[in-house]
Amino acid sequence: MLYVQFVAYPKSVYLSTASGINGSVQRWEGNLTSHFNLEQNNRALRVENAQLRKRVFSNFYQRNRATVSIKDTVYDQQYSYIPAKIIHASSTLRNNYFTIDVGSIQGIKKNMGVISPNGVVGIIFKVGAHFSLVKSVLTQDINLDVFIGKTGPRGILKWDGFSSRKGIVTGVSSDIPVKKNKSIYTLGASGIFPKGIKIGTVIDKKRVEDQALWEIEVLFSEDYRTLQSVYVVNALLIKELQQLQLEIPEEQ
Amino acid sequence: MRNIITYILLFLLFFCLQVFIFNRLDLGFGAQIFLLPLFLMLLPFDTNVFILMSVGFLLGISVDAFSNTAGLNASSLVLFAFIRPILFETFKPRDGYDPLKIPTASDMGWDWFIIVFGILFTLTLIWYFILEILRLEEFLLILRNVVMTLIASGIVIAVSQFFFFNQRRKK
Repeated sequence: MLYVQFVAYPKSVYLSTASGINGSVQRWEGNLTSHFNLEQNNRALRVENAQLRKRVFSNFYQRNRATVSIKDTVYDQQYSYIPAKIIHASSTLRNNYFTIDVGSIQGIKKNMGVISPNGVVGIIFKVGAHFSLVKSVLTQDINLDVFIGKTGPRGILKWDGFSSRKGIVTGVSSDIPVKKNKSIYTLGASGIFPKGIKIGTVIDKKRVEDQALWEIEVLFSEDYRTLQSVYVVNALLIKELQQLQLEIPEEQ
Repeated sequence: MRNIITYILLFLLFFCLQVFIFNRLDLGFGAQIFLLPLFLMLLPFDTNVFILMSVGFLLGISVDAFSNTAGLNASSLVLFAFIRPILFETFKPRDGYDPLKIPTASDMGWDWFIIVFGILFTLTLIWYFILEILRLEEFLLILRNVVMTLIASGIVIAVSQFFFFNQRRKK
């Protein structure tokens, strides 16, 4: 049993960068090499900061002064974000796992989503005390549910391993027109990610042989080769969603 | 030159180069720089195959631990270490190997080095990418990665033969 678990790489904590010793070395190395892309990352964060600043409460004019102390009953917070830093990443392997510098101490749990300023990074795969492994978009069976355009068709995002800048969306029926340069967004059906986070844009499409489906080539909006700052998505309502989805009757 | 401390230092050098530099490079088009087999190639001719395989496993598993690929590098290097004595026997010079020489291009000549190391390295890379991708339907991807990595690593290894292992000639 132990052997089987060991072989299913990279599941064993001790031989991965989520373990204590390797994690510390990687953090040291990450501190050293993170300066190489500092300029680029700062620019991305500045842009995001500017957009977030627009939504800060103090930037809104308050029409009704009486409601200030009333608890917000219209909006419940559905997602909160835990900032994290990527300390180890690869983009040349067939399955690429990123190590981030937050773990169970910061409240990270398995299957949480991870996003970045420009896109989706992946899903938490394994959690250590101080570090976690992220199964990135650049893996074989990531299968994120996405939709195309503003109200477009739904599909599934996959990665074919050929280029770290391009992904593939499958499962879109070929009778639906798909235009180039349309954006791809997360659907959020599983409740892990918020809906409508941009992943990339359509750059090409071709028909799948023998099937009435498109195979759509997507240019990722995030460059995973230089990515450093990410946010772990804490989906506060996911338990309720999963409970509800369990109630769906199984009809043969 | 050929004492055990030199090899330990070389071991650390190869480990650091692979983990901290070459594993972090993304050359695109599936090209990676895979330097580890060169270390096994440099060990003396009469090294026991079990020692060779153990050293390969040790080097591979240490690199694996730092790149989240448990067993991938280790198994490739063990395979390399296993085939090395067989190929060395096949491509033996008429008078056998000179015990004072080590298996580098400057000692053994470029023809010998390119043929022996080329075959070993290609087999290792095929194993490496088949194991990494593990899907027959992605055969094209495996082929592309093998060819591109062979070219990229081949250039680096050829250059390293000029720079690091040519001291004997200068004397």
